[in-house]
Amino acid sequence: MARLGDITIPPELLQKAVQGDEAAQAVVYTSTAGATFALIRRIISNRAVAEDLFQETMMTLFERLPEFRGEAPLGAWLRRIAVSKCLMYLRSPWHRVRLQLENESEPEIHQGLSALITPAPPVESLDVERALLSLPVTARAVIWLHEVEGYSHEEIGRLFGRTVSFSKSQLARAHQKLREWFESGQDRQLCTSIQSNSKVL
Amino acid sequence: MHIDPEQQQGPVGHCLRNLPQELDQPYDWAEFRRRARVRTAVAVRRSATYRSWLAAAAALVLVVLALAAWTRLGRSDPTPPVAHLETNPPVLESRGDPGYSASTDRRTDAAERWLASLPREPVVVRVGTRAVVTGLEDRIAQLDDYLSAARVEGVQPAALAGAEEQRALLVKSLAQVRYAETLVAEVR
Repeated sequence: MARLGDITIPPELLQKAVQGDEAAQAVVYTSTAGATFALIRRIISNRAVAEDLFQETMMTLFERLPEFRGEAPLGAWLRRIAVSKCLMYLRSPWHRVRLQLENESEPEIHQGLSALITPAPPVESLDVERALLSLPVTARAVIWLHEVEGYSHEEIGRLFGRTVSFSKSQLARAHQKLREWFESGQDRQLCTSIQSNSKVL
Repeated sequence: MHIDPEQQQGPVGHCLRNLPQELDQPYDWAEFRRRARVRTAVAVRRSATYRSWLAAAAALVLVVLALAAWTRLGRSDPTPPVAHLETNPPVLESRGDPGYSASTDRRTDAAERWLASLPREPVVVRVGTRAVVTGLEDRIAQLDDYLSAARVEGVQPAALAGAEEQRALLVKSLAQVRYAETLVAEVR
């Protein structure tokens, strides 16, 4: 499956979608929905919130499709929209309050529930998934944008409305936490963790 | 400037890039269209509600401004200009004062005429001041009754000097209180 930033759509299909051809719009949606949703889910672990942001992203895509000039792949343009929506949500006062309330609860339960909600990935990557979920949401967003999506520190700082130093410090913090996670040997407990968390529900 | 992720050398980045591209599937095109229609309908309703609230707020502001303007215009004061009073406040002397003279009677008459020209109640009624004014007016009225009755009975004027003097003091006090009320009302 191609990354979102690499997804392209034939120009004639895009033209039909702009003109309101529902079949063409459905193809555009189907081609980009999976990767878009995955990107948003990497940043926003809560599925309900991720679905809201995904809906907003795709609606914005079709509203602004006439403005797309084709200078870059459509997926890259869509990725910018998705990341912008996610970071606007993270920067909102409502989310900051909600995040504070969530951080007061036990992180292990959230990790277990997140693993249960999503279809279980291959075992060898489950520990990485859990390690990623264990990060604070801002650090997770920064490390994903930098390491996977290829955003520079300048771009990340601008998206967050902060400085380059902010991006670098968040990235360093995320790396350190991930190293601690792997060094602590928690990956050996992943089977028992899932079984015990199934009792929580 | 964007960075090619593949050029990132760190092992953490390598692990992250090897994660599955799709965790779980979102809803299909039909569900997307349904949710989009719902969101659009909600947005239209919210916009209409917002517009109606805005119109109501604007109407309320206009009503308040109109009331304020009408109240301001309705406060046209029939009393003599305050400037005249500021430069020529009623000054009274009692008969017992060394400087008392027949002109004091004329000043008392002038103060009474000025008091009579004032509205029965000021625009802004202050409870404490109104009680004082009422008390003074009552005392003056009582003395007037006494003096009238005494003159009818033929009491000598010299015997009524004390009462006259007390009445003049009360009129002086009343004029000062009403003068203060007038100044306060003009300042407001």
